[in-house]
Order: sequence, then C-alpha cells, then structure tokens
Amino acid sequence: MEPLKTDIVVVGAGPGGYAAAFYAADKGKKVILVDREKRLGGVCLNCGCIPSKALLHATQLIREASESHERGISFVQPKISLGKLRSWKNSVVEKLSQGLSGLCQKRGVEFLQGRAHFQDSQTLRVETSEGQKFITYEKAIIAVGSKPAIPPAFDLGNKRVMTSTEALEIEEIPKNLLVVGGGYIGMELGTVYAMLGSSVVLTEALSSILVGVDTDLVRPVMRYAEKAFKAVRLNTKVVKMATSGKQIKVVLAADGKQKEEMYDRVLVSVGRVPNCKDLGLEDTKVTLDDKGFIQVNSQMQTSDPSIYALGDVVGGALLAHKASKEARVAVEAIIGESSAFENVIIPAVVFTDPEVAWCGLTEAEAKEKGIKVQVARFPWAASGRAMTLDRPDGLTKLIIEPESERVLGVGIVGTGAGELISEGVLAVEMGATARDIAESVHPHPTLSETLMECAEVFYGYPTHTVAQKKRTPLP
Amino acid sequence: MDVRVPRLAEGVESATVANILVAPGDRIEKDQVILELETEKAVGPIPSPASGEVTKIHVKQGDEVAVGQVLMTLAEQGAVEKAAQDEKSKRRAVQRKTAQQGAPQQSEKLAAPEGLQPEPYRYESRSGFPPPASPSVRKIARELGIDLTRVKGSEAEGRITLGDIKAHIEQLQQIASAPGPAPEKAPKATPTSADFSRWGSIQKKRISTTRRTIGQRMYDSWSTIPHITQMDEADITELMELIKKHGPSYEKKGARLTFTPFALKAAVTALKKYPIFNSSLDEATEEIVYKQYYHLGVAVDTEAGLIVPVLRDVDKKSLSDLSAELNKLVERTRQRKVSLEELQGGTFTISNQGGIGGSHFTPIINKPEVAVLGLGRAALKPVVKNGKIEARLMLPLALSYDHRVIDGADAARFVRELTQALVSFKEADLKLIQR
Repeated sequence: MEPLKTDIVVVGAGPGGYAAAFYAADKGKKVILVDREKRLGGVCLNCGCIPSKALLHATQLIREASESHERGISFVQPKISLGKLRSWKNSVVEKLSQGLSGLCQKRGVEFLQGRAHFQDSQTLRVETSEGQKFITYEKAIIAVGSKPAIPPAFDLGNKRVMTSTEALEIEEIPKNLLVVGGGYIGMELGTVYAMLGSSVVLTEALSSILVGVDTDLVRPVMRYAEKAFKAVRLNTKVVKMATSGKQIKVVLAADGKQKEEMYDRVLVSVGRVPNCKDLGLEDTKVTLDDKGFIQVNSQMQTSDPSIYALGDVVGGALLAHKASKEARVAVEAIIGESSAFENVIIPAVVFTDPEVAWCGLTEAEAKEKGIKVQVARFPWAASGRAMTLDRPDGLTKLIIEPESERVLGVGIVGTGAGELISEGVLAVEMGATARDIAESVHPHPTLSETLMECAEVFYGYPTHTVAQKKRTPLP
Repeated sequence: MDVRVPRLAEGVESATVANILVAPGDRIEKDQVILELETEKAVGPIPSPASGEVTKIHVKQGDEVAVGQVLMTLAEQGAVEKAAQDEKSKRRAVQRKTAQQGAPQQSEKLAAPEGLQPEPYRYESRSGFPPPASPSVRKIARELGIDLTRVKGSEAEGRITLGDIKAHIEQLQQIASAPGPAPEKAPKATPTSADFSRWGSIQKKRISTTRRTIGQRMYDSWSTIPHITQMDEADITELMELIKKHGPSYEKKGARLTFTPFALKAAVTALKKYPIFNSSLDEATEEIVYKQYYHLGVAVDTEAGLIVPVLRDVDKKSLSDLSAELNKLVERTRQRKVSLEELQGGTFTISNQGGIGGSHFTPIINKPEVAVLGLGRAALKPVVKNGKIEARLMLPLALSYDHRVIDGADAARFVRELTQALVSFKEADLKLIQR
C-alpha cells in the first residue's frame, strides 16, 4: 500500500497536538493529525480541565445556596439528578469537541483515528478501523499527553477505585469517599463530591495539600477544605487497599500507626504519567529521561532530529496552555523561524474553593535560589468587592525585584483568581514595574483592584489598607 | 535541517547577505552567528537555530535573499548529544568572553575604528532575570540574533522598546561600515506638515506601504548613485514594419507581438558587448560583480504604484516565448500576484513609457543594478537619409547609469550598440524563432 505523505504528522489531538496541527496548517504545511480517540481534544477536553470545571461550576451553587441563608435568602435542599448533571457536562464536552472537528476540516488538516506506532524516524504506522495505514513525514510531533498514575497496589480492578477519568463520570454519589493525594486534581474533584453530599476524607503523604504552591495561597484553601471535607489527613500514607463486599478496605498509616477504614469509593489522584509506551519510540532516536518523559531541547526537538515532542509527554508543568505554547515553538522551529521555549511565563490555576493562581517567580522559589525580593501582600478583607461577594478569604501578592521595582511574580488566592492572574502574566512578560500596575487605574469595585492596591502596598500608600512599612526610596 | 532567513522586521521582506562567517564542514553551535544580513535598515547577525555541521551554503555574499529562503543546510545533532555539548560550549563561550573583554564583539569588530566603540553596556539583574522587554520585542530580538542584555533600554528601569533595538542595530551598523572617524552628520530636519487647507479645500490619503517602499528605494538610489542620463534616438521604421508583418502569425499562436520584447533582446545584445552594464557595485567589499546571466526588470505601472518584476534569462528565450511570458508577468503584476522572488535578481531594467506618450526622460537606476533604459513614444520625424529628407519613426532612448562604475564614453558606446540592434533587427531572427 502506498504510504500517505505529509509535511507534518501530529500524534495526539489534545490542546498541544491540535494547536500544533492547526498552527502548522495555518503556516501552509500539509498536516495529518492522529489520535486514538474519535473525539478531538485529548484529556483536557474529554476527561480533564473541561468536564471538571463544568462539575465545579454546577456544584458551586450548592455551597452558595446554603451560605445564602445567612444573607437572608433561603433555598430548600437541592435535588440532584446525576443523570441530568452528567448529560449536561457531556454536552459541553461534545460541543467543544465538534467545534474542534470543524476547525480541523476548515484548515484542511486530515484527521486519522487510530493507534500510532513509529516504524522508524520517518514513518508512522497507524492502526485504524480500516486497517493499517503508513504515513511518511518530514517532521513528526508527539503530543500524546499523560494519564493518571495508579500504583499497582491500588489497582484492584474494582470500579470503586477510581482515577480522575472515572470520577468525572459521577456514576454515583458515594456516601464515603477517600481521596488519595492532595494535589490539585484530588482537591478539585474532592470538592465536587463534597458539594454533592459525599463525606470526603482526603489523605496526603506530605505535610501540606497542594505541595509546591505558595503557603500564603494554600492557607485559605486548607481552611475551606477542613470545613467542606470530613477530614484532611496530612503525613498519611495508604498502605493497602482491598475489595470488601461493596466497599473498599483501606489501611492508612500515620505517625507509625496503622488503621483500617471502609470507604464506598476511593479516588486515586497521586500524579500523572506520560503515555510514552507502545509508541514504538525504541525504533527512533528519541530518548526518555529517568522519569519516562521524552527529552527535548528548547525548540521541542527530541534526540531524533525529525521528531518533536510537547505537552505532558515532555514533563514540566502538566498544563494545557503550556502544551499549546510549546506547540507554537515547535511549529515555528520546524518551519525555520527562530523560536525557543525560554523565559516563558506559564501561569497555573487550581480551581479549588477559593481558587489559587500564580505566575512567574514564587516567594519560595526566590528563597531557594537566593534571589533577593520584596513581597507585597494585599488581603481581600480590605477589598470592597470581595466583601460584597461575601468572600473576603483572598490574598493578592506581588514578588518584586527591589532595585528595579520590577514584578517578577504574582500570586492570588480568592474567588475568580484564575481570571485575575492574566494581568499578572502580562505584567511579568512585559517586564512591568510595580509602579506600572499602581499607575494603571483599575475599576471600582472589582477584584482586579487588589492587584493595583497590592502594588500600592509596595510603595506604602494603599487606599484601603495600611502598609506595614513605608518603602524607603532608593538613593 | 535548513537554516532559513528569519522574519526580519515589520515590512522587511528581503535582505542582502553581508557576510558569511562559516564554511562548509564547520561545526557550529546553536546561537552562533553564522552570517550577517543587510536590510534596507540595518545589518543584523543571524544566529544558528541549532548545532551541527554546515553541509552546504546556498548563498553567497551580496545575494539578495527573501524571508524564508534557505541560507544553509546543517547536519543536526539530536537534543541530548547536544545537551552535553552545550555545557562545553558554554564554558568555551565564557573563555571567549573573557578573552574578548573590552574588545568589540563579532559584528562590531568589522571595521571599528579607534574611538568609535560604543560604551560596552550590559544589563545586570541581581535576580538573574533577562532585561525587561515586552514579549513582542523579545521575539524580534531573537529573530535578529540581538542579545538584549547589550541593548540600552530607554524606558523606566531600562525597559527595552522596539525603538531601542533599532537604535542598537543602527549603532552596530554605523560602527561596522564607518570608513574612518564618523563624519559629522548634519541633523536631519524633522518633517513638518503645512496646513494646505488654508488656501482651499483638500483631501488627505495615507500613503501605502508600497508607496513608502518605492519612495525609500528611489530616495536611496537617487541620493547614493551619481546618475547621468545618455540620450539618443533609434530609427525603428523597419522594425515596426517587421512587427506589422509578422504580428498576425504570432497572434495565431496566441502571442501578441509588442515592442518591449525587441527592446529586451536589443538590450541583451548591448549588455553582452558591454558587461559593465550588467554588473553591480558591492559597496562593502569595493568589488564590481559581473553577472553572467541576463535577468531584465520591466517597470510596470500598477494601481499601487511602480513595480518592477524580473524576466529571467532573456538571452536564452525566443521572441515568442518572451512575448508570452512578458504579457503574463505584466498581468500578474497588475493583479499584485507576483512573488517577492520575481521582483529580485534583476541585472538591468527597462522602463517603456511608449504606450503612454512623452519623449526623453531621466529614469532612476534600480539599485543594486547600475543602469536603466527609459523608452519614450516613437514619433515620425524628418530625417536626412542619403541626402534626402525622409519621414522616419524615431524612438527616444534614455540610459541612466551609475557614474561610479561607468564612464560617459562607455555609455555612448552602449547606447550606439543598442540603437544599432534595434535599427537593423534581422527579420531572420523573427522568422527563425517562429518555429
């Protein structure tokens, strides 16, 4: 059979893969996009960012309705139809996915559903429902993403032990849910189930939830989790799991003591692993690092000159928008433009309640690297808007280089932090100074004012709070 | 992997290869400067996008290159092998830097005369962050291979703007091209606008990019080349009769026989005899570059303004082929469908105003060419032939040339040759290529 010929083949149709395919097509390249799923969008769209945000939005109302009582507006107990909730969530995913298919067709990107396997550095074999197809290409881009990690000891073959993929299907609302792992996935999905009425226990092996996130920003989330969850157990390890009738028997260890507990369901959210296996990479010159991620240079090129890789499969922050940016870099590198993934500010958002968002340098990172910074904090208790929203549990902070007054990092915790962080990204990318932010008028009353007032804190004259220490002008 | 001409700047589509700093077989590091490109605005170093071995260089010094064109081919190394080397090269770079401390850098060292060195500037941040600049400015700097830590930012806290990069490049270029101590430049008068509405009603229209480019090129050519225009007249009575005679048979083949292809052919005859007219002056190396090909530009009057597409290998094409190709090229130019490449590589230009009218005019040379031929409208004139006055069809010719490389006597000879080629165009040539 005559192999298909193309300029670029992209393996994986998630936010990294489709971004690369579309961009390459827009730049005039002939592109084939391969994914083993029929639906475009990858994990992010089908069983990650999008469905989880749909569920978080839907269930958020439950909390708001109950708190509303204090403000003089009361509702009756909500009735939950899981079937309807699920089909609404699925309709959101379906609409977005169809949108992508349309964008694909409009650009003339050929989509091929099937499992991809590299024959050598120049040939890809795809097992489609119509049999094998061979593609010869100038360059290949691997963007096959990652999947939830599940330690063998937890893999009981019991549907009551879920990863995020199954948890998003909300088959039932378990009475007792154990969430293993206090990272962002465990926190977000734990929140969804807690809102729906599950009694949630969250365990984390380390000493804090959201490990790696600025402690100032984690604090309000922890405070909320302690209220919403039955328990948050830090420094606690899951030793063993076993099926026990319609429940899961879990052995937990903390402080050197073990105890046994029964749960209706368990959500394992202990991290994600790259989907590098079964791609036939051993028949190319692509190399992996010791954690199994594909090694690339700053142009996203692997050790095999004709193969590029991006997104979760190359490691770093496993974030959709990181993958999309890497897609731009890879395509630009392939078509000969000078481009590199260097000094790129990748913001991160955790959609807990309250949300956490940050970008650029963090306070902890500055300390670790010995970078002298000055930190300005603005508590949301001083924000009129936060008060009207009845959510004063937020904080905005700026990490500033003292000599130049340049903003190196921004951290926000509070409702809607994810929407606020982009101003921080722009500031850091533009090399803005705290003065630039302070001098830009922010509308009142909005949460965005907290960024302006935080910059004013740095100079010692915020309107709605009192700066602790006046900044001494530099000589 | 192919190293291509990066996007240079807003509106800049092409550049000239100013210097090639590597040779085939060289092992080069990523970001090593491999050549320097000169645009209308500046000389910029081009860093290598990858490490590897130079297998082929596709351009030579003085070549006009377009954005996206292949400059050289690299045999690449994979990323990991490279990572190990990067460490080494970093160390080497540090050594180099220490060795060069105080000495001007690569592009600056070309001809930097004493006392003209810029103050060595380097941005330093205690946090180790790159100098503040917007993402778009950083992208352009990367494409041009400009190290932002060496660019002085003009905004608060040293923020670098696009203007700062331009100023930096201009400074580098000045140093690179200054032949001696920098001449005192007269301050350029700031353009002022007058209020013409004081004397009557007016209408304003912003000039187009094409217009601006034409303006820049014309100004550049006119102000840097000492132009002389040699004028003459050619008796084309017989040639026009030939065209009348053979026109219909060409028409049958779908080719409209017009005068311009004959002028192109006659020009090639003269260019072959006087190759200096088919040359360029390389101002940087002070060399005259004789071209052994005859690519002739034809000035086309379009709605957007003057555009000069190039007909390749005019010497090798038959009259009928030339006619057909010319008609198509003119049509596509009017529709703005010609590619950048089709506008480049000309060796001589013809501007035929015959279709519109007028007599002699003084055309401006299409730099880096050295001569241009302007044709006016042929008119019946009384001519003394064999002691008798006859009405002959006379074509006004005007040849502008670059007096830096061509002298008046050569110009007179060239025009004589050209006129002769038109006057005594052999009917056989016309028939021969009829096939």
